[in-house]
Amino acid sequence: MRQPDYDVVIIGAGHAGCEAAAATSAMGLRTCLITINLETIAQMSCNPAIGGLAKGHLVREIDALGGLMGILADETGIQFRLLNRSRGGAVQAPRAQCDKARYRLAMRHRLEHLQGLSLYQGIVSELVIRSGKACGVRTVDGAAISSRTVIVTPGTFLNGLIHIGLHSYPAGRANEPPSNELGEDLRRLGFTILRLKTGTPMRLDGTTIDWAQFQAQPGDEAPVPFSFRTRKVVENKVLCYIGYTNARTHGVIRENLDKSPLYSGRITGIGPRYCPSIEDKVVKFSHHSRHQFFLEPEGLETNEVYVNGMSSSLPLDVQKKILETIPGLDRARIVRPAYGIEYDAVSPTELLSSLETRRIGNLYLAGQINGTSGYEEAAAQGLMAGINAALKIKKKKPFILRRDQAYIGVLIDDLITKGVEEPYRLFTSRAEYRLYLRIDNADKRLMPLGRALGLISREEYQQQEAKQKRIQAAMFFLGQRKVKDRNGDTLTLREYLKKPEIKIQNMLEYGKFSGSLSDEEMRAIESEIKYEGYLKRQRKEVSRLKRTDRMKIPKDLDLEKVPGLTKEAREKLEKYRPETIGQARRIPGLTPAALFNIGVFIEAERRRRMRGARNVPRETLAEDE
Amino acid sequence: MFEDTIIAISTPPGQGGLGIVRLSGKRALIIGKKLFRPRKGRITVRKPIFGVIQGSNEGGPLDEAFLTYFEGPRSYTREDVVEISCHGSPVILEEVVRLGVRLGARHAHPGEFTLRAYLNGRLDIIQAEAVNDLIRAVSLTQARISFKQLGGSLSRRIGTIREKIVHVISRIEAGIEFPDENLGITREGTIKEIRSVINDIKDLIAGYDAGRSLVEGITLVIAGRTNVGKSTLFNALLGEERAIVTPYPGTTRDFLRERLVVRGAVFNIIDMAGLGRSAHPVEQEGMRKGVRLASEAAGVLLVFDGSRPASREDIELLEKFRDRSIIIIINKIDLSKKFGRAALGNTAGDIPVVEISALKGLNLDVLKKRIHGLFVSSLRGREDMVLHSRQKIILEEIVEVLEAANSAFLEGYPEEVGGEELRKVIPLIGRLTGEISVREVIEDIFSRFCVGK
Repeated sequence: MRQPDYDVVIIGAGHAGCEAAAATSAMGLRTCLITINLETIAQMSCNPAIGGLAKGHLVREIDALGGLMGILADETGIQFRLLNRSRGGAVQAPRAQCDKARYRLAMRHRLEHLQGLSLYQGIVSELVIRSGKACGVRTVDGAAISSRTVIVTPGTFLNGLIHIGLHSYPAGRANEPPSNELGEDLRRLGFTILRLKTGTPMRLDGTTIDWAQFQAQPGDEAPVPFSFRTRKVVENKVLCYIGYTNARTHGVIRENLDKSPLYSGRITGIGPRYCPSIEDKVVKFSHHSRHQFFLEPEGLETNEVYVNGMSSSLPLDVQKKILETIPGLDRARIVRPAYGIEYDAVSPTELLSSLETRRIGNLYLAGQINGTSGYEEAAAQGLMAGINAALKIKKKKPFILRRDQAYIGVLIDDLITKGVEEPYRLFTSRAEYRLYLRIDNADKRLMPLGRALGLISREEYQQQEAKQKRIQAAMFFLGQRKVKDRNGDTLTLREYLKKPEIKIQNMLEYGKFSGSLSDEEMRAIESEIKYEGYLKRQRKEVSRLKRTDRMKIPKDLDLEKVPGLTKEAREKLEKYRPETIGQARRIPGLTPAALFNIGVFIEAERRRRMRGARNVPRETLAEDE
Repeated sequence: MFEDTIIAISTPPGQGGLGIVRLSGKRALIIGKKLFRPRKGRITVRKPIFGVIQGSNEGGPLDEAFLTYFEGPRSYTREDVVEISCHGSPVILEEVVRLGVRLGARHAHPGEFTLRAYLNGRLDIIQAEAVNDLIRAVSLTQARISFKQLGGSLSRRIGTIREKIVHVISRIEAGIEFPDENLGITREGTIKEIRSVINDIKDLIAGYDAGRSLVEGITLVIAGRTNVGKSTLFNALLGEERAIVTPYPGTTRDFLRERLVVRGAVFNIIDMAGLGRSAHPVEQEGMRKGVRLASEAAGVLLVFDGSRPASREDIELLEKFRDRSIIIIINKIDLSKKFGRAALGNTAGDIPVVEISALKGLNLDVLKKRIHGLFVSSLRGREDMVLHSRQKIILEEIVEVLEAANSAFLEGYPEEVGGEELRKVIPLIGRLTGEISVREVIEDIFSRFCVGK
């Protein structure tokens, strides 16, 4: 058979596609990244910021696995903040305002210099499938590109439809053509298609804003970078501003609700509740007298300003009227209107944990097509899809992160076992092991894996190891030195640090620690010590759950034979097809009883098969002393 | 599937003379050894050994008991099994289970011992059909149905508690996830909300004893010095010759128990040995048991002999039981009256006094009316509080978790630490009613807090 043109073809060069392409080419595979518009590679379509709670965690994990998002955010960031500084290390996360244009260019620059990666501008119209396996794509202009695997990362472009007021037009992003043929092709192939909705606020001309009316929000005094691999000091170059809507604003919105495509029923897609439009906020929280918004610069070389909190799909004239009610924005000119967009997604219950589809082999989906929202969620999936496509070609086992290993594991497991009803966003609350999945140990957790995959260089890995040694040494030191507390009891500094009001700096100073530690390293030590009891308990729970959760559900399990299963439970299992008991456990609405029945059935079957064939010696009983 | 060790009370509920708590699993013996200390000798396989159950740290020994260790596979479940048999009081049995859970055992699901027996190949003659039934019986859904049948209003109350817990979790999570939005979430508010849930649960638990009484009967002890006619009263109330009555003091050496229905309410009446000085060791043992029974009973019928003048011992007895729910009975009014209400003086306070003759059946109806009035009327309207002991134990565990979370907030630990404590409630709630899902918490956040860009 003829050698295919490429090992991997990736459709879409957004945050998912770019990470996927970087991963497959770094893993030595010939990759083709196809995009509708080469000028908008890695475009930040919505807010000019990366990170935040859970999302910042994801970026750190992507970074520890050799992904690009963290490095580029540091390179193009113009304001940095570590969120939740008043809380503990597990719920702190970096967030940065980025220069959108520079981010885009920096990504393109990176990709153009990656060996084995080709960029190609075109619109894919269909996937080429041979005996149930993806083996290339065809474009609208008749080109055919063959490959061993295909990764689809089209963002909001599949059958995208933009709404501004009661007007609508097909687009993947404002003024960019949608990808309708590919959307139809996926339907034809039988995928369960969801119709989702999201939105973006208006952009203003910054020179028409009266900035004195707003409260400035500066970056951190000591900015914290995203990437473990960024050596340059990151700097704050801009301010953001905080403002509020008022009763007049709300009046305008209420008067014009009939012109909202959402409230008039024109939009049928389901939007995310965590990203409500301003009209949603006014309607749902009518008792609030004002709503907060943020003015965020879109870049250094532009005056464009993003109005975070003012997402809307009301008509342009109403958007103008809204601004007129807000002191400081009353003369502001809109340079891009706010809009809502509906698009097609594939139900992520169609996916395996590797992000390969169950329906068609060698076909991987990542990003918004899987029902997620957010640059970081997309990038994480892109990276994982890229890694897994590469491993598949190399005939290796898929790379799966567990929920107790990484937020990436939580994200993907949530998607495939629970499906989505609205665009999915990661929250730290979704992680069972939140105190362990921290930004300060993402490198310790994942860099060894990134190294093994060939995505982390030897030098980067050695730096990580040296860092862990410094941390270990300091922890050992704190465990040796003693101090008397208020009650006259003697404690080690390590024990003393567990008191809520005590900081690591105090302990190191008190003990006259001679080594030098970065702020990052101190945060890591502080978390490890302050959370110690919880972390121990979680480790225990993980090892307990691992045994049952790993129990495989045979692919050929005849659900009809499992006793005591309700019809509803059977239907759920047919739909989600869990690979393990652990996955089944997280399927919403599947009762513990059903799970118990399946577990018992599988176990009983296994034992029935083994009975008589063995006489396993009993474990000797552990004595208590 | 069976890495863990399970524990449950394996005798039927109610106050039998003896009760058995059974442990099965890898750690059964280890937990058993921590729970139980032999009087002498050491635990050997399949041989009951006498000793004491170690209470929690402060309390000292909880009860005397026998422990029997069955080494797997020669046991019911083919796993290591430990059986602890002690006095049948639900209070003691529940405490043993609680201690076992604290030492690392898990509450068994209904039927789980049998299930393990099956899966471990012990019951392999059983046909698939029978197993099917078995699995159905152990399904939590079944448990939940019976739970509902037990009291719809109870599940409503637990539902309210669950909802409040979701609220507390979501307020903490909202604060963590959206630090840039002014949500007005204060630590003081969180502490107040948790306190309020704790109070709700404590209320529910307080109703437990009342609820249990309605199902299992209200236990009343007939107490008094020897030969004041306790057994005569016992028989008179029951209307049959149940106790052995003789004119000699000390005839009732142990205790007798019967069910008595008064105006539709069930009572367990216990006739116990006379309280007083006695040299006989058997009698002393009976008295010791009597004192303990009296302390566990819902109320005491304290009997005096009206035909003899009040003695110092009588007054001492009254002082001893004064703070309990009691009815003073002055018996033998058919004889010449040497002692009446006045003789007891201020010590009796406003305790109801009934003068009867148990032998002649005088005023027994007055006494029954009093009994009903004192012990049943106060329970009316609380039928919704019928809890299983299992549910009660879970509720108590939830209170413990909430208290720990509350102290984390009070002592100034960061929110995610308090939140971590609080998360321990989730599986507990799951065992009581539906498990709380993350999705539910997140939905609650978005319905109550206006967040998002």
